[in-house]
Amino acid sequence: MPAIKVERQMLPMFASPNQGARFYNPELPQTEPFVPGHRTCAGCGPSIQYRMTSKAAGDNTILVGPTGCMYVANSSYLCTPYNVPWAHTQIGSAGSFTAGVAAAYEAMIRKGKWKGPFPNIICEAGDGSASDIGLASISGALYRNHDCLIICYDNEQYANTGIQASSRTPYGGMTTFSPPGKMVPEAKSLYPKDLARMMAAGHPHCYVATASVGYPIDLMNKVRKGLNHKGAAYIMIYTPCQKGFVYETPRSIDLGRLVVECGLYPMWEWDPEKRKFDYSFRPQNMRPVSEYLKLQGRFGHLHAEHVATMQKFANMQWKMMGVELPDALVRAADVKNVRDMGAAQAAEAVALTV
Amino acid sequence: MTTALAQKKKVRINGCVASAQAAKYADVDVITAYPIRPYTATMIALAQMVANGELDAEYIVADSEHSQLSIAHGASSSGARVFTGSSGVGVQFAYELYSPISGTRMPVQMMIADRTLDPPGDFGSEHTDALSTRDMGWLMGWACDAQEAFDNHLLGYRIGEDRRVLLPQMVCQDGFFVSHITTDVELPDTGQVREFLPDYKHPYPLDPRRPVSHGPQIMPEQGPPLQLERARAMEGAVPVIEQAHEEFARIFGRRYDPWIEEYMTGDAEVVFFLQGAHGVTARYAIQHMRQRGAKVGLVRLKTIRPYPTDRVKDVLGRFAVVGVIETNLGLGSVSSGGVLYAEACAALYESAQRPLVVSFMAGMGGEAIVLKEFYWMTQKMLEAKKRGKIEKRTHWVGFED
Repeated sequence: MPAIKVERQMLPMFASPNQGARFYNPELPQTEPFVPGHRTCAGCGPSIQYRMTSKAAGDNTILVGPTGCMYVANSSYLCTPYNVPWAHTQIGSAGSFTAGVAAAYEAMIRKGKWKGPFPNIICEAGDGSASDIGLASISGALYRNHDCLIICYDNEQYANTGIQASSRTPYGGMTTFSPPGKMVPEAKSLYPKDLARMMAAGHPHCYVATASVGYPIDLMNKVRKGLNHKGAAYIMIYTPCQKGFVYETPRSIDLGRLVVECGLYPMWEWDPEKRKFDYSFRPQNMRPVSEYLKLQGRFGHLHAEHVATMQKFANMQWKMMGVELPDALVRAADVKNVRDMGAAQAAEAVALTV
Repeated sequence: MTTALAQKKKVRINGCVASAQAAKYADVDVITAYPIRPYTATMIALAQMVANGELDAEYIVADSEHSQLSIAHGASSSGARVFTGSSGVGVQFAYELYSPISGTRMPVQMMIADRTLDPPGDFGSEHTDALSTRDMGWLMGWACDAQEAFDNHLLGYRIGEDRRVLLPQMVCQDGFFVSHITTDVELPDTGQVREFLPDYKHPYPLDPRRPVSHGPQIMPEQGPPLQLERARAMEGAVPVIEQAHEEFARIFGRRYDPWIEEYMTGDAEVVFFLQGAHGVTARYAIQHMRQRGAKVGLVRLKTIRPYPTDRVKDVLGRFAVVGVIETNLGLGSVSSGGVLYAEACAALYESAQRPLVVSFMAGMGGEAIVLKEFYWMTQKMLEAKKRGKIEKRTHWVGFED
């Protein structure tokens, strides 16, 4: 029997500029593949991202959920917020299970066993899955170029298990596996794994991008670009976690902007045609890292030297993006010009009580 | 759909190639491979078939056995017929996936060519690799030659994909003794296969037109019914297995007892109880020992999951002594030997006539069990019969006088 040609979808881009439409955009599709009523925390960044992502993808979509918050908190107790097919898979199986779904549809459509345009196949892996235990499986799926989109919803920690450090937890981030103490006053002493760039460098034939819930239209356009790209695509999305970052719940979107404005979450796209990074995204403001840190309890223990260290890290990222540093940010990297975080003394006292 | 006109034909192939042929006849949609000896030869054969255009399937070289089984899980969940396989430590690297695959009721098929674990990690056949997964909800059984391996693959899909069952299958063969020994295998007409094996249609695949959620988190009190369903699927497979073997005999002309093969047991006083390829050498050894007057026979277990408890009880209950040849390692187990002994004894517990049961650690490291060892084991069984008592539960064959 002759093979049947596989028809692919092509989703249009949203016309709004990347920073517009913060709260409302009439262009957004009505469809809600991810419905409310689930059990995620108030202000949950990953679930905000989930709604945007699935809205951008539409109804001809299959979602894959490796173990993590977006599995446990969403699908609790045999309830499901997914209006499109969704399957749980093991935390280390993010890329591999997704590859299986994509391969099945390639074969079934070609062999006439399923009729219709190739579905959007999206994996929603937390950063624990994406940067640690499922890294090889995702690399395998990207390398083999299955037609799917793998998203790392990056809340910079294992949140579902009660806030433990992952390879994406930033320097200075307090988690239950990286507490501050006399010997390690900065808490997490390692820098985060440069995950998305690693994926772009290692799988240059893929569409790779970073995004943040602070910029919804940009995020949704990147999702559509990833889905339209024939072959594998990868997007790492900043999704703050109120429980682990310890901030006021209405400020999730603010954090999603501040992290970019402070240079701690470079926004870029990897163009697989030109084989180049596109660093043209510019936030409206540039700010010192302390503006971002001071909103979050997980950084409350930091001393001036640690804040300065983080500013140096942010400054390097700006340079990487080809941005000229304003004097204020250079000065902010000098410990003389930086103060301890408000809770630094209190954190030391608390550590001693354990 | 046109049916190919190919006739039945006899070919000379080994167990690995027989498995690959079976996957081709089953018209699988997705194949996931990762290299490890000895099963690799199956995937080598399939790669060539796909490259030649003889088989239209997605052939995926996974990045590990864990990924291999996850890909298989995803593909099966989407409605594709899936074929995968492994050996030795590879079987164990994928261990996490066995329960999720049977728990979501996906009839993935996995070919196993046994290999020792590490240590010793040699290329020989020990059944410990697959047996360590025996309680994970997979249908499981051993072939003793290439023809049986080929047939078991088709039977596996037919049984596992049946809506009353929906369970994954481990279709096992001994590494080297089956996987790499060339014998005559009859390949069927594709029309026969189409008649025997309908297209795979899972009732709830991941299909955007009929959204479903697979594997959501549950409360502890929601766990027992799920586990009970899986247990019932395993029990419910029993009549389906028998029916499938009947159909198989009708269509292909080869009749197998799905549970147990008996060889020269009519008047036997003592019998060997084993699985897999050593059954072939045991038959030969039994002929020799019969010439010397020993009333010895063979009972070969063909399906270990679901375990044919009543059949084992009724069959083994007829003899004075049962010698379990393990070919697997159950360190610190009830007999301090292998794991087959414990299940045989448990099946016999309810029998009015309980034979003496002794466990033989033979064929370890994948060594052949030679004629001399069969003689020695028969002698031990006959002595036990005479004494009315076993000497000890477990004998390490070759390490005792």
